[in-house]
Amino acid sequence: MISVKNLSHSYNKDETKAVNNISFEVQKGETFGFLGPSGAGKSTTQNILTGLLKLQQGEVTVGGFDLKKVHNERFNKIGVSFEQSNVYGKLTAKENLKFYAKLFDVETRDPDELIALVGLQGKEKVRAGEFSKGMKHRLTFARSMLNNPELWFLDEPTTGLDPAIAATIKDIIREQQKKGTTSFLTTHNMFIADELCDRVAFIIDGEIKLIDTPKNLKLEYGKKLIDIEYVKDDKIVKETLKTVDEHDKKRISEIVNAYDIRTMHSKEATLEEIFIEVTGRGLV
Amino acid sequence: MKLLSSYIKEMKIAARGFYFYVELGIAIIMLLILLFAIAENPDSKSKEYLFNDLPDAMTDAFVEEDIEEGVARWADDAELTLKPIAFEITNEETGELASYNYDEEKIVTARVLEKVNTQTGALTGTTYILDNEEDMIRLSYAEQAIGATTSLDDTGRLRYKYYLQGYETDRMVDLLYVLHNEDPDVFAASFDSQQVRTLDTFGTLNSRQGLVPLFVAFAGSLMGFFIVMAYIFLDKDEGVIKAFAVTPSSVWKYLLSKTMVIMTTVVVSSSIITIPVMGGQPNYLLFYLFVITTTFAFATLGLLVASFSKSLTQAFGALFVLAIMLMLPAFSYFIPSFDPVWLRFFPTYPVLQGYKEILVVGGNVGYVLMYSGVFLVGGTLLFLLANIKFKKTLTV
Repeated sequence: MISVKNLSHSYNKDETKAVNNISFEVQKGETFGFLGPSGAGKSTTQNILTGLLKLQQGEVTVGGFDLKKVHNERFNKIGVSFEQSNVYGKLTAKENLKFYAKLFDVETRDPDELIALVGLQGKEKVRAGEFSKGMKHRLTFARSMLNNPELWFLDEPTTGLDPAIAATIKDIIREQQKKGTTSFLTTHNMFIADELCDRVAFIIDGEIKLIDTPKNLKLEYGKKLIDIEYVKDDKIVKETLKTVDEHDKKRISEIVNAYDIRTMHSKEATLEEIFIEVTGRGLV
Repeated sequence: MKLLSSYIKEMKIAARGFYFYVELGIAIIMLLILLFAIAENPDSKSKEYLFNDLPDAMTDAFVEEDIEEGVARWADDAELTLKPIAFEITNEETGELASYNYDEEKIVTARVLEKVNTQTGALTGTTYILDNEEDMIRLSYAEQAIGATTSLDDTGRLRYKYYLQGYETDRMVDLLYVLHNEDPDVFAASFDSQQVRTLDTFGTLNSRQGLVPLFVAFAGSLMGFFIVMAYIFLDKDEGVIKAFAVTPSSVWKYLLSKTMVIMTTVVVSSSIITIPVMGGQPNYLLFYLFVITTTFAFATLGLLVASFSKSLTQAFGALFVLAIMLMLPAFSYFIPSFDPVWLRFFPTYPVLQGYKEILVVGGNVGYVLMYSGVFLVGGTLLFLLANIKFKKTLTV
């Protein structure tokens, strides 16, 4: 569905690359997570794939369309949910969706149904300018589904939403996955990526460090960990130790023998911890 | 269909926004100014102070002649108050400086001669005839009005001495010299070489109607230039352009829908200004053709300027220079003697002249049609350029 070969982009058209020689493919029906901290090159890549930025270098096909040529009709297959909500403040929720629906050449979904789907029922006739940030975000998300996209770009789809609404959005994404929608999810939230993505790519400083399934990454890079809380000198001390590391094994034994243990839990490494281990950088 | 949908959406947004009402509000204010602040045929009421150092019989003879011709009439004598004042007067002929200093208030009686328009009978000016030169000078200075003394010289010929305020133009001063020069040979030689331009527009449009082209050009077409940019930058701020850019619709439809909104607004605002003042006199088919083509050209110019900037603040420099340049032809419109060739290359020049030709009875239809075509072609070229530029920068 998406093929990217040797993609590079420079905003100043010089040697400073926001994205540097990256290659990846996204298969039909796959949910592909593009993970990295702010400024890593996630948005630049997504903007190129969605046509908001002109392709400078590399070969990119999206939905079978070569991005070196102008194909406006490709947008009939594509839906884009932006991180920054961008709806007409002076139009009502329904007017916003109705207007955009008319711009597509394919059958579109009922605006009322989409409004209800993202939990905005009863707000159809309210101008978007009166919406909270979260409500605008949901309307932007709803708009991205208008044309039943085969390829769905999701930029930080749950950022800024309260947990209940975020759960609703994740359920909608899962529902679309079941229908075979291909998704390109850009986020710095590893929990969402872990929950939703079939494969993830770690991008940092404009370069992809690795691409794999979350499960394989955990098998390869994640090591079983034990969180221990114990009392030392009347103070509670916490340590996280690896069960496969000889030094850590000895340390666990020392703690168990010498101190009063309050809690002890085994756990799997998170995607975020793997990201830090692989890239040496945090996600903020 | 997509264009129509965009247009309807843009009209809804405009009608719920600020700039739409700014434009209509300005049109209404301009109409109120035209109807209530500008007289159809304003009389310039001059005031002057005169001392006739002549025998009474001679003064009366001059005045009676004017009264018989219907250009003047006697009014009741007026009591005038001369307040304390100090001033200096320079004699242009000799260069002598005379100082005047009055500490006391004084009340004098002046004979009042009213000058009237022979056709309308309306009052056009008032001459206060004083019985001594000193009072006349004092009043002339205090009232910042022209003063004059008439007397007889040694040969018995009339002599005129004017007291001017200093702000009069050289042309006015020269005119006074010429007016009283009894030797026609002095200026007869230059008669043949004079270029005479007939200001026929002002002969057929009254003062109120004469302002309509200016108001329509600036509240309509030129306003469209600014407001289309405001609309674009508002969309950029809201980020909705990015959402539009990921639909199958084309950029040109987005830009044209904005331009169509501006044209609709300008049709309404120019109608508000024109119809109540002009009534059924103009050819409205021609009028609206010109409104639409000129607005299209100015709106697309606005689009092009907007395509080079990320925000209204960034575009402000170019806007300011362009606004000044586009307003320059207004000077030529009001001062027909100021009509340099270079000014005719400013697009507002043919806009003003075109509206004038439409409003005036028997105006030059060919001129209007020609410039409608020029603005349509020019606007289309600007639109194409703006479209190319926006494709690269709209979402940045």
